[in-house]
Amino acid sequence: MSIVEFNNVSIALSKTKRRKGAGRSQRLRRFAGETKRQIIPILNQVSFTLNQGDSLALVGAKSMARTSVLRLAAGTLLPDSGTVIRTEPIVPMIGIARSLGRTYTIRQNIYLIGGLLGMKPEEVNEKLPGIVEFADLASVLDKHLGAAPPITRQKLAWSIAMSMDARVYAVDQTLVVGEREFRQKCWTRVDQLREQGATFIVSSDNTKLYRRFCDRALYFTDGTISADTTVPEALALARQARFAARDQSRAPKSEESDD
Amino acid sequence: MLVLRDLQRQYTKFRLGYLWSLLEPLGMSLVLWLVFSVLLGERALGLQPYLLFLSVAILPWWWFLKSVNSSTKIFRRTRGELAFTSLPPQIWVLRTVLSSMIEFIFSLPVILLAVIVTRDLPGPWIILFPVAVILQFILLYGVGLLVSSLSIVIPDIARIVKIILRAMFYLSPILYSISNIPEKLHIVAAFNPLVGILGLYRIGWWPEEHVSPWALVISLSVAAAFLIAGIVTFRSLKPRILKEA
Repeated sequence: MSIVEFNNVSIALSKTKRRKGAGRSQRLRRFAGETKRQIIPILNQVSFTLNQGDSLALVGAKSMARTSVLRLAAGTLLPDSGTVIRTEPIVPMIGIARSLGRTYTIRQNIYLIGGLLGMKPEEVNEKLPGIVEFADLASVLDKHLGAAPPITRQKLAWSIAMSMDARVYAVDQTLVVGEREFRQKCWTRVDQLREQGATFIVSSDNTKLYRRFCDRALYFTDGTISADTTVPEALALARQARFAARDQSRAPKSEESDD
Repeated sequence: MLVLRDLQRQYTKFRLGYLWSLLEPLGMSLVLWLVFSVLLGERALGLQPYLLFLSVAILPWWWFLKSVNSSTKIFRRTRGELAFTSLPPQIWVLRTVLSSMIEFIFSLPVILLAVIVTRDLPGPWIILFPVAVILQFILLYGVGLLVSSLSIVIPDIARIVKIILRAMFYLSPILYSISNIPEKLHIVAAFNPLVGILGLYRIGWWPEEHVSPWALVISLSVAAAFLIAGIVTFRSLKPRILKEA
């Protein structure tokens, strides 16, 4: 049964993430004609189908492109052309930890993020003990999140998102988080979910994680899918591409040195 | 239900500063009252009692100002949330308007205070006060959608909006009454949606000052036009807004 279907999806995003200087100086520079707002194609005519029970790895693309695929799948980004068809709601685990409000208490954060993910207050009420217990935050439940370390934020965000009994997850980097012990708990939970037939789309920089968890991989080159295979094969392809790129970049250099 | 969630979120934010939502408009009304009533003499502007006249309009204006000003940066602020929320992005606009509305409602004791000080009880037309609140809410929602989605495409909108708001303050009958304007200009003034709404706020105390029904209709249709324009712009810019996150 297909859960997400991408039909010739293309998208271009403006490259504003890593600009130099603050907004104003950037605007001044653009005004002076030194820089331009670059719009770069991220995905180009991407089509694939995600089936029930898959755990899909995204290989070969830059993290921005992978995040775009996840967001497109979850419906928090709309494609420039093409269509994305969803048959089930998807829980997007994309930068949730970043959005936890530091001025709110942990309890408020749980309600807030839970609500934003689409849970009703009653559902959150029900799940609150489970979330708190999982994240080991019972003693500080009514304290402000404040400048809590990133690891705590990630653990909290993870616990909230995974407490939803959804059947499809789009996970950006945070399939397992926290310190070793907590990671172990994450793995248990994630594996359990997969056994129950949950579907995952995973984006990560950690190839070990892909190897351990995913059973299908999409290999991207230049914003298009060039292979839809198993994880080891896709990783091998990515590796070959890396070597090729390295050889290419070396080749002109050696020519220069010959001259 | 989700609005409730947002309110809860907002509530924690300004509970500390609740007194401020009283003091801010109160201070503003007092200063303006001093200048325009005491210093310039009682002849000048508006209707009597001037303190009450002023505070009835200042509070809605304050709501309008805050809401429109903050809608210029809604989507820049909620960038992170936009990435993972499958809820429609309109709720952020709704949240901004609603939270400033709640602040407005919390600051209503200022009017009460002015009523007590001036001992001027409103007439039966006061029932139009809630109607004005609803109308202003609709207007603000439209303007909020329009401004917030445009500000994604044109970042300079924030500055432009500031200037327009400053102009609106003097172009709307806040310091003065609509009857201070020459008769001929009434129709022109009616194109400012605030004219109609402020007229409805004040009708309880000064039924004789009311805007002519025609002008009211024009004001309200301008408000409705804002709502439609807001929805249309928002619809067409939605992919762009999501991209920005």
